[in-house]
Amino acid sequence: MKMILLTLLMSSAWGQTGIEIAKMVDEKPTPRDMVNTTNMVLTNSKGKTRTNVMMSRSIDGNKKQIIWFLEPKDDRGVAFLKIEHNNKDDEMRMWLPAFKKVRRISSKRKGDAFMGSDLSYEDLTSRDLNEYTYKRLDDELVNSTQCFVLESKPNTSAKSSYSKHISWIDKENLNIVKEYSFDKRGALKKEKYFQHNKLKDYYVMNQIRVKDVQKQHTTEVTFESLEVDTGINPALFQEKNLKRIPKN
Amino acid sequence: MNRIESKYSDHPIRSWIISQSLNRPKRTLLSSLIFTLILASGLRFFIIDDDMLKMMPEDLPSRVSWDNIQEEFGSTEVIFIAFGHEGRDVFTPKALAQMWDLSEALEASTWVDEVTSISTSTRMDSYDGFMEIDDLQLNRDLSTDEVDAILKYLNKNERIKKQLMTQDGDYLVAIVQPFDSIEMVGFVAEVKSIADNLLKNYDVHYGGQAYFTGIMPPLIREDVIGLMATGMFIMITILLLNLRNGTAVTMVVTVIMLSLAAMMGFMGWMAHLTGSGKFLFTLANTSMPIILLTIANSDGVHVMTKFFKEFRVYKDKRQAVASTMDSLLIPIFLTSITTVAAFLAMTTSPLEPLIGYGITISAGILIAWILSSTLLPSLIILRSWDHNAKAFLTKSFFEKMIDKLGKVVLTHPKYVFSSGLLLVLIGLFGLSKVSVDVDMSKFFKKGSELRESMDFLSEKMNGTIDLRVRLVGDMKDPLTLLNMLRLQKELERYPQVRTSYSIANVVEQMHRTVMDDDPAYEKIPESREKINNLFTMYSMSGDPDDFSSMIDYDYNIGLVTAFSTNLSTQETLNIVESTQKFMKGIFSKATLIDFTGMIVITRDLITMLINSTIVSIIFSLIIIGIIASIFFKRILWGVLAVIPLTSAILINFGFMGYFGIELSHVTAILSSIIIGVGVDFAVHYIAQFRRLSRTIQKNELSRDVVDDVGYPIILDAASNMGFGALLFSAFVPIQYIGGLMVFAMVSTSLGTLTVLAALAELLKEKLIEREIQ
Repeated sequence: MKMILLTLLMSSAWGQTGIEIAKMVDEKPTPRDMVNTTNMVLTNSKGKTRTNVMMSRSIDGNKKQIIWFLEPKDDRGVAFLKIEHNNKDDEMRMWLPAFKKVRRISSKRKGDAFMGSDLSYEDLTSRDLNEYTYKRLDDELVNSTQCFVLESKPNTSAKSSYSKHISWIDKENLNIVKEYSFDKRGALKKEKYFQHNKLKDYYVMNQIRVKDVQKQHTTEVTFESLEVDTGINPALFQEKNLKRIPKN
Repeated sequence: MNRIESKYSDHPIRSWIISQSLNRPKRTLLSSLIFTLILASGLRFFIIDDDMLKMMPEDLPSRVSWDNIQEEFGSTEVIFIAFGHEGRDVFTPKALAQMWDLSEALEASTWVDEVTSISTSTRMDSYDGFMEIDDLQLNRDLSTDEVDAILKYLNKNERIKKQLMTQDGDYLVAIVQPFDSIEMVGFVAEVKSIADNLLKNYDVHYGGQAYFTGIMPPLIREDVIGLMATGMFIMITILLLNLRNGTAVTMVVTVIMLSLAAMMGFMGWMAHLTGSGKFLFTLANTSMPIILLTIANSDGVHVMTKFFKEFRVYKDKRQAVASTMDSLLIPIFLTSITTVAAFLAMTTSPLEPLIGYGITISAGILIAWILSSTLLPSLIILRSWDHNAKAFLTKSFFEKMIDKLGKVVLTHPKYVFSSGLLLVLIGLFGLSKVSVDVDMSKFFKKGSELRESMDFLSEKMNGTIDLRVRLVGDMKDPLTLLNMLRLQKELERYPQVRTSYSIANVVEQMHRTVMDDDPAYEKIPESREKINNLFTMYSMSGDPDDFSSMIDYDYNIGLVTAFSTNLSTQETLNIVESTQKFMKGIFSKATLIDFTGMIVITRDLITMLINSTIVSIIFSLIIIGIIASIFFKRILWGVLAVIPLTSAILINFGFMGYFGIELSHVTAILSSIIIGVGVDFAVHYIAQFRRLSRTIQKNELSRDVVDDVGYPIILDAASNMGFGALLFSAFVPIQYIGGLMVFAMVSTSLGTLTVLAALAELLKEKLIEREIQ
């Protein structure tokens, strides 16, 4: 039924405006919860790499997420809990096993890198449609895939660290396949490439590649052992659960 | 005279060279011009660059470390901008808004990699178990309370405060870092233009190594052009006064200008073909055009005055030119190669620009010799001369003066020799007072804008001269971090070292923040795990790039940075030596330590300068002695040729000691110049002594030699007063070179006509006997 609806939407999408395309993407069905093992490889301009392996559980489209660090060995046991709020600052807590303390951390600087990667908190947070101005550009083919090309410019209320994004959206499944983000000066800052897998009725992201073209730093995130709608208990997202890595 | 059979000299090569000017003057002129033009076309590749680092040998340990640091931590050459008003509190909303605008404008520039200022820095706070990393200045426009909050934070974090404002709190500071491998002239021009435009209502001061590297080339260019004009003016005036013939002066000036163009073009070609930093035109090269100007002039003056003398006798220009060139081809060649030998001794220097200097000026000297031996006689032949002109009939002021001098010297040779010896002894005593200093700030006159800025930043800020210690080891190991702190403490023990920082300071600050801002925890945690947790936590809430100037990507290489005010040579040596000893004592052998920064590089430069100056003096004196011995077929002549030079060098360095003129990479070339230029006088004297000894009675010999070569030597020395142009340089060491060279010209020329003449007179029995044999 959903596929029929989507096809109907697609057939009427040829004349869509920028905001309408953004709404369609925003309203795409998402899983109730998600479990994965995240493998993140960071590579700097000199070719040096750092690899992190984490176990992640999330619900509400990633609005609540808990992460346990598995690798490198030095970081094993460190855990991170994030709860996004609509009307107040997000809550972020971290378990520091060597100190045996949970510490709250701030996310005030939206442009700051998440775990030293090329993904900032802003990149990881879903965009509020009201805080952006959208403009549809000419459609393009990306790797033989017909794509909408959408320009999103943040309003001042968004307090964004970017001046605009240009996103290539697969017309068939509304997945973003590629995105260019520009800094405040208008210069290209990041190139992002996304890959999706179909799991149950959802298109779920299984790989992200980001290149900070100014720093010549890249991040490749691969989501392995992906499971959706597993019935995660919302009570998991509490401080006390940071202290122990789940067995699976 | 049959052209083919004509013989202008006993020697076939000499005869052939002379015949080219006499019989084919136009062809010789054209060939010389084409030759010059080909060389001068290299001017398009000519580069002015005064990066102090490029002077050092690429395999010098401190330079290798420096390059490694640039590679791992980005450019450490920065510009410091300080703005405010003397004695007035700069911590106001208005000044901070100005800093915000400045930082934004600089960051928007494509030349700028990073700006460190209050507006771009972060703060780390602990609120009720909450670690917050946020911008130190949240907005452009701040309330007084917000400004006070920033000041409060800075007062709590003295190390950060020391970097971002002056000690008295009357100037704010921005540190601007360029992208790697960019052209510094453009970078400095861009930064200055942005800052000058935005900070019109403030006193603005600039400093830092990048600033000097960028500001010097335009200053050097301006200086060289000014010096050349002044030098030419002085030289032409002296030539006109003495030769009293405009055409003759124009001919000499033509030789000089063509030699100069060809030499500068040669330098361009060498830079282009070799790609070597040796052939970049640096501050040390500023004196080079003036020196060639005087050497080329010297060749021209000798040819022209001899021609005048011969023309007076023969009243036929062909015969006069033939006789002139026959007697001068060898001495000019000999003076040229001995001068070349003196300058080539500079290639023994480990300093790159001095090697390039030696090679380039040697090429210039050889070009001047070729042009003086071919183009100049051709020009003389092509011109008609009036033998009734005043210039040919009457003696000039200098000629009359030489007559008098000759009488004095030859009447009292022992007295003259003893006076010379006394001067040398006085010089020897002053030698011990010579100090070495390469402090860039002293290169500018006191009171000049640049000097004021440098002194201001050195005194009021917390130093702009860096010292860097690169440590390879486990940067999460508490012991490594503790040792880094101990090293910082040791460095800060010196009052000149105003501040230092490393990742260890950040770890201390993070520890305190995590422990609810308890000052008792502002220390290195006791376990590696805790340190690792702190780094991981920071990466979750702050940008790990914040540490990029202190630690590498793998946490295996750390950098301790310290800044000092301007240091004297002795202070530099003390700090470097004792810090090296201290480090050996605290760090295990497993920790690799590299020690660099401008302080260490300056120490290396000082050591190299002393060594290279001594080596080049000894080397050039020996070579010149050998060349003179071979050409004059007697070792005694070789010894006598270097005596006036050795005396002049001793007197020169002695005077440097008495007048507090420091030996630097700029003044280090003095010895080569003195030897190179001064040797000409001795060569001319000896050549003439030998020539005349074959025909003239020994009682008259010295008198006739002084009479014959005295005038050209004094005229040569007088026209070399073009060196005096260097006194008008914008750079203090170049002014010193100017002053000392004027003095050296007087001492070497008079030394030749007095000390050498007196010695030759004393030893004439032996010398003449040998000649006859």
